[in-house]
Amino acid sequence: MIKLKNVNFRYANSDSGALNNVSLNIQTGECILLCGESGCGKTTVTRLVNSLIPHYYEGEISGNVLVDGLNITESELYETARKVGSVFQNPRSQFFCVDTTSEIAFGCENMGLPVKEIMARITDSAEQLHIKDLLGRSIFELSGGEKQKVACASVSAVQPDVFVLDEPTSNLDIDSINELKKTLLLWKSQGKTILIAEHRLYWLLNICDRVIYMKNGQIESDMPMSQFQSLSADKISSMGLRTLSMNDLPYPRKAVRSNGILSLHNYVYRYGDKEALNIPKLSLPLGGVIAVIGHNGAGKSTFSKCLCGLTKKFKGTVLIDSQECGNRKMLKKSYMVMQDVNHQLFCETVSDEIRLGMNEENADNADGISRGLDLTDFSERHPMSLSGGQKQRVAIASAVLADKEILIFDEPTSGLDFNRMEQTAALLSSLQNHRTVFIVTHDPELIVRCCTHILHLENGQCVENYALTPDTMPLFNAFFNQSS
Amino acid sequence: MKQNGILQTNAKNRGITLDPRTKLLLLLTMSVFVLGGAGETTMPWLFPCLCVMPFLLLLSAKKIKTAIIYLVVYSAAYLAYFCFESATTGFVHFLLLGTAGIVTRFLPSVMIGAYVVSTTTVSEFTAGMLRMHLSEKLIIPLSVMFRFFPTVADEFRAINSAMRMRGISFGGKHFSKMLEYRFIPLMTCSVQIGNELSAAALTRGLGGNVRRTNVCDIGFRAQDYAVFALCAVPYVFLILGWTEVIG
Repeated sequence: MIKLKNVNFRYANSDSGALNNVSLNIQTGECILLCGESGCGKTTVTRLVNSLIPHYYEGEISGNVLVDGLNITESELYETARKVGSVFQNPRSQFFCVDTTSEIAFGCENMGLPVKEIMARITDSAEQLHIKDLLGRSIFELSGGEKQKVACASVSAVQPDVFVLDEPTSNLDIDSINELKKTLLLWKSQGKTILIAEHRLYWLLNICDRVIYMKNGQIESDMPMSQFQSLSADKISSMGLRTLSMNDLPYPRKAVRSNGILSLHNYVYRYGDKEALNIPKLSLPLGGVIAVIGHNGAGKSTFSKCLCGLTKKFKGTVLIDSQECGNRKMLKKSYMVMQDVNHQLFCETVSDEIRLGMNEENADNADGISRGLDLTDFSERHPMSLSGGQKQRVAIASAVLADKEILIFDEPTSGLDFNRMEQTAALLSSLQNHRTVFIVTHDPELIVRCCTHILHLENGQCVENYALTPDTMPLFNAFFNQSS
Repeated sequence: MKQNGILQTNAKNRGITLDPRTKLLLLLTMSVFVLGGAGETTMPWLFPCLCVMPFLLLLSAKKIKTAIIYLVVYSAAYLAYFCFESATTGFVHFLLLGTAGIVTRFLPSVMIGAYVVSTTTVSEFTAGMLRMHLSEKLIIPLSVMFRFFPTVADEFRAINSAMRMRGISFGGKHFSKMLEYRFIPLMTCSVQIGNELSAAALTRGLGGNVRRTNVCDIGFRAQDYAVFALCAVPYVFLILGWTEVIG
């Protein structure tokens, strides 16, 4: 079905993601997992298959890519589009329409199918993926998981033979991943060929038949899933890959020092008639690294917005060192590192960026802090030209210099490979005791590496609130296993 | 939790459905007669009549709050124009009439624009343009633009939050740079989203060699003909006025 022969590729304006003499043969009905560190070229392979390379992303290409007998370099993008359906990483930016029904129709409309046929296909794919209740909605009302389902349905409606997924779960919670898993199994049972490039691996073990591990733009190994599963946990992490099993999580070893208490009062917030948050009183360790977990719609993002003082009309307060802080004070004391860090970098150079909003007394510290965060080499670069991890560090540096006592991270490791996840974990750990850190995350691997405390929200209420120690690990595992 | 802004289409709650082409005609009529002031001298009664249209349409789309605010602001400006025209002089006169003039002229067209954008889905819009036999080369960029408004609004909100956390706000010490700080991330994010959006649309066969179909059930209904008739009135009077003047 898919044939790559001696393919070399280099992006026109970037060195990472280049391919080096890649040859690959994929049979009809196979389900392939492409894995490897960030920048190893797995996304490039998916782009070759859906022919965005060379038609959209430019670069030097040599070798042959055949998809169902179609040579992608010679054929047009819309021809490949009928054979290959693609689901992307960011559900925010893969919708062309603003409402779900026209979105699912979009691909079929482009093929010029008759209206009756399209309507039938919309109903079919909505039924198969169990999203009938999502039809006719505005995409701006949907959660990330729901958006990804609609994306799958709209690809499904075109009825391609090949499905290509590029890191489809990097913005999803565990429930949504399970839903996606069902969709993939459905496609597999229909005999479709599936190619998935992914960092999170545990959910794909029963789905994929074959694993292709890439390194530096080359295929390093190509093995059946059974053989891949028998690799030891150490071997997997030395390959720079995420864990295969939720039971392999290392136990947290950190001694938790008591620094005092940060207590929340009257954390109640409503959107219109809908109660989003209802926590009358809550005590959390000051200086701890606190993971905020819970399913979609549990109120995690409302909680973090309230904590930052970003919600107007919010009446809750935080008691830090017997000082009562309302909205206005919390806005001064706290800082959220958003999932899309691009929203919060404003200046022309990194050094301006971290000094913006700096407390004057910290001026001497600025160099020390940027050295500590490995930013000295980039101090004159434009923040937007940095990689994702570097941008994150710039945001942290600016928050530390602005004397923010409370740092909130929204999904800091979504879409990161093992090594980068470990780096982020180390960075977050290093903030322990100096700052109180909240991490809103769906990533258990990150939590066990850096968090000292767990706050579990569900339906706007606090379900559980405990220190993460070997004793409480079963409680923690229960959350991630019940859902996976 | 996202709130539905004025520019975001809510597919469920749209009141009476007008064909996108009818909406375009409405927009054109408003621009010609209210904003452009055609026939102002010959038909002084026309102006306020046309200005009731956005109010009624917004009501029908269940945007009651917006409709009432529009009505109040417009009536206030209109009354001010008539009541104080002779009562004031000098600078106050100038200021008052200037403001009232701008509001009465611009507001109705802006509101009808908001009504059109907030009640038309991208695919209805495309369907309407296709029926008018416009080239796809024009339709595709326009529909992407349509898709972009709500996205930019979304980005804008996120950037606003980020700025507040950094202490950049009115009255803050970085006030003078507020515009710059707002637009740099907005542009970077928009470019990135635009890129990803185009890639996604292309992998789904946009721009193929076959003529696109459209599932939207658009077409002229009774309400469309009613609007046509209404819109025809000012044009007819305008032309009659001309011929008389010429004749």
